[in-house]
Amino acid sequence: MAEKLNKLPKVTEYFCDEDQFSPGNACCPGCIMELNLRLVSKIMGKDSILLGTPGCSAPTIHGQNDRAWHKHSYYACVMTGVASSATGLARYYKKAGIDATIVCHTGDGCAQDIGIQTISGAAERNENIIYICYDNEGYMNTGVQRSSATPYGAATSTTPVGLKSIGKTTNSKNMPMIMAMHDIPYVATATLSHLEDYAKKLTKAKEMVKQGFVYLHVFCPCTVGWKVKPDSSITVCRAAVQSNYFPLWEVGNGAYRITQPVAKPKPINEMLKLIGKFNHLKDQEISVLQQQSDNRFSILQALCSIRA
Amino acid sequence: MGLKKEEKYIYKYEACWSDGNNPLLCLNTGDWRTSRPVINNEICNGCGICMTFCPPQCISIKDDYFLINLGFCKGCGICAKECPKKAITMTQEGDYADDCKI
Ligand SMILES: Cc1ncc(C[n+]2csc(CCOP(=O)(O)OP(=O)(O)O)c2C)c(N)n1
Ligand code: SF4
Repeated sequence: MAEKLNKLPKVTEYFCDEDQFSPGNACCPGCIMELNLRLVSKIMGKDSILLGTPGCSAPTIHGQNDRAWHKHSYYACVMTGVASSATGLARYYKKAGIDATIVCHTGDGCAQDIGIQTISGAAERNENIIYICYDNEGYMNTGVQRSSATPYGAATSTTPVGLKSIGKTTNSKNMPMIMAMHDIPYVATATLSHLEDYAKKLTKAKEMVKQGFVYLHVFCPCTVGWKVKPDSSITVCRAAVQSNYFPLWEVGNGAYRITQPVAKPKPINEMLKLIGKFNHLKDQEISVLQQQSDNRFSILQALCSIRA
Repeated sequence: MGLKKEEKYIYKYEACWSDGNNPLLCLNTGDWRTSRPVINNEICNGCGICMTFCPPQCISIKDDYFLINLGFCKGCGICAKECPKKAITMTQEGDYADDCKI
């Protein structure tokens, strides 16, 4: 057994520090946003400075009552201004000659809806910030309302399913692509079923942030809001990658690349049937989702072929 | 400002609503569990996949085996589902009722 233990998963080679989070924290059982936070902490190192906003990561990043859940330096921001607060920090440390990694960690509601103008502004100014958006496709902390990341057909508390209603009727925003179009040094998508791929991207982000704004979009199922069994969140991530619903790609200085190409993509239905919020969908709606996901993927493929 | 020179300022962990005087917050999340993961060390091949996927990261290596810290395991079952050898089974917490001193 002893020599077998030497073959630990490759992701462990990317760890450069201890996990700075308290062992028992308040995320729901099976919530992989918690895994995401701990991974970020281990790879970015204990000296990185976290910024968070209200949302599910807030209880764990901000602390509660009079205590903290982790040992990082952190800044609790309003949802509208996280990227501008981070700008201030980044500029201060630069002026003071202190080498600091500034990491914003927010949900999709903050990144894509409430805080998008400050993110877009900071990206255009090319500030030295790493922005990690964990995409749980909705406002989970306030009770599973729809956000602009909620896909077509998903049931949420503000897009309920009924006799006439099929859930959300519009498509989601393609946020990583929106950020890629800002022509910033590095944009990548990642998810927690492919930990090594994610770890590589985090390591690269730490390097690229010296050149400017870095955006990472992390697919992060919410067991409560998506009606997924607590043990299945990683399975859902894997199914999303394998059906090209959430392809893993990166763009560094204008060169697009799919980091985990899927040889034989599975139909999107394979993923949808794992997720309770899509349970009511009929073939017609599923084909709409399949079509939208195929369209996005073909745009990505076209971009990848430009400098291939 | 209000501190006298000889007063020692103990900086521990700063939080939003804290002055950095307090120790780290920690819940006994093990209390939430309804079923616990049990590793069969005969079948386990030491790949460490359970350890990397565990959301609270409460699986560690101890003397050639993996040890689950039941004080913090929330019982989500991701380790049992992801284990390629199916060496982990989720067992009802009730089965362990005899362990408790009631
Ligand atoms: C400007 C502003 N609008 C609304 C809120 C209320 N609010 C608190 S948490 C939250 C949900 C955040 O959603 P998201 O960023 O997606 O994170 P998640 O809860 O999904 O982790 C909202 C809307 C707020 N705090 N500030
Ligand atoms: S509500 Fe969802 S995103 Fe929030 S902590 Fe629970 S599982 Fe995680």
